[in-house]
Amino acid sequence: MATPPAASFGSDRGANQRKRAEWSMTLPLMAGLAIFAGYPLVYLVLLAFSRSDLGQQFQGFVGLENFDWALSGTNFSGSVGHAILFALIVSLVQLALGLYLAVILSKIVRGGRWLRTIVLLPLMTPPVMVGIAWKLILNPSGGWLNGILLRTGLIDAPISFFGNHDLAFPAIMLADTWQWTPLIVILCFAILQGVPHDVEEAAALDGAYPKRIFWTVTLPMIAPALLSVYLLRVIMALKTFDLVYTLTFGGPGNATNIATFEIWKTALREFDAGLAAAQTLMFAITVSVVTLPIVLLHNHLEKRR
Amino acid sequence: MTASVQDTRTDRLIRFGFLAAMLIFFALPIVYLFSTSFKTPDDVLQGRLLPEAATLKNYPNAFAHVPVLRMIWNSVAVALLSGVITLVIAVPATYATIKLGAFRRTVPNITLASYAAPPIIALIPLFYLLQTAQLMDSIPGLALVHGLMNLPVAFWLLKSFVSDIPAEIDEAAWIDGAGYWHTLFAVILPLIFPGILATALICIILSYNEFLFASALTFSEASRTITVGMSLFQGERLVNFGQMAAASFTGMVPIYLIAFLFQKHLVGGLTQGSIK
Repeated sequence: MATPPAASFGSDRGANQRKRAEWSMTLPLMAGLAIFAGYPLVYLVLLAFSRSDLGQQFQGFVGLENFDWALSGTNFSGSVGHAILFALIVSLVQLALGLYLAVILSKIVRGGRWLRTIVLLPLMTPPVMVGIAWKLILNPSGGWLNGILLRTGLIDAPISFFGNHDLAFPAIMLADTWQWTPLIVILCFAILQGVPHDVEEAAALDGAYPKRIFWTVTLPMIAPALLSVYLLRVIMALKTFDLVYTLTFGGPGNATNIATFEIWKTALREFDAGLAAAQTLMFAITVSVVTLPIVLLHNHLEKRR
Repeated sequence: MTASVQDTRTDRLIRFGFLAAMLIFFALPIVYLFSTSFKTPDDVLQGRLLPEAATLKNYPNAFAHVPVLRMIWNSVAVALLSGVITLVIAVPATYATIKLGAFRRTVPNITLASYAAPPIIALIPLFYLLQTAQLMDSIPGLALVHGLMNLPVAFWLLKSFVSDIPAEIDEAAWIDGAGYWHTLFAVILPLIFPGILATALICIILSYNEFLFASALTFSEASRTITVGMSLFQGERLVNFGQMAAASFTGMVPIYLIAFLFQKHLVGGLTQGSIK
């Protein structure tokens, strides 16, 4: 991006005025982020090395005790594994579904307005209500899916999707996919609109089949943009909390206990602020480690273009 | 697209089938929730798509059971107030960063870093901060937290709209002797109005839908938001699904209204901000 020419006024007064404007315009944002991100980080570091409960903080310096206990005495590491698995899988599924749907929609000229509304609604629904809606669908008593399966005779007794150790996580992933695939559709649609037509047309004139054109011409061209979308989705998915809270509360057992929920439980159910802070710091580090390879791959692809 | 000439019949059939399946998938939970809100308790147990004998009683009963409208009002108040806070802070900062080149590396980096950090990080410290500031369990307190929470999103959405304005426009205003703040208000704001509207709508929706902070920072009826209220519905032992669906659907109406009225702005804002 080109920097605007330094004060067109050419005088010291102009330069001063400019500096003042720059500071007064950006200072509130810096202060806001300092309150929302900077201060919490410092506070968390202090908490993590102290014995602290929610009512009374900083009861004494305990060194690495909280970190040690988080890794050895709690479900924390398992919950981090769940969070990463969840984020990588749902993001990939949603990217595949969303991209395919965007490709189809980009071939349809009519019906745009209605399709857009239907696609937009899941995205806008409050996640707590997404949980309620999917609970209604999957519930053992009165759930739509169990109703269908029972009536068609595919099952004899209703399935408790959220009570089953193997089905609970996929059920949450299903609800998450319902909510977020639309975002991917919208983003991929815009990416596809930005692909220059002449390249695809040249390939078509050479006699290449549409499918081949997509895989060999279009896809490599949009790969960096798709990776950005994937990265955005992974970051968002690592923050997931509401769906687990409303659908399973981490259960059955610890089957759907993800890091954000584990930290929430430690802080607001067991009131151990020091331990929760240690868990939070370790989770934040994990998030950067997980997202870093995606960022690097993106930069690599971007450079190759 | 010219390429579709060569598509085979099966290709088209697969595409149509996938499109239809996905549209049903997207619509089904909303349709079923809406339909359940008209079911009697016996009817709910049948698990059919449509109620056999529709009843309107779930709505008044749910409203009598939990203060649904009060909680929606709280959510709307928090969302609007937080939207104002976000925009007042983010618009000048975006302008200064993009057009004046102020901290043009620092600002994007710290906004990105704060967005990537899971919000649970901020929960405990903000809990204490609100307690100290005596803003705990209040609408302004939660609005402040949501307002700051949405700053990174607002910055990245506004960024592309501001970048789209040709540099000559600001420079002409500056040469004419207009101050930077004056240029922002008189020249730039009208030009990026669609971007500001889209950003405002997205931030308002994000605040209205937010649950984690709301559940930890509000607890009395005077400030509890609808997402928190609906999560409490879940905790009860004997859930009346009809009433729960009625309350949920009512809570979704404000958001769906925005989605319906401003779909063009929303889609435009989402794509501009994320693709560029």
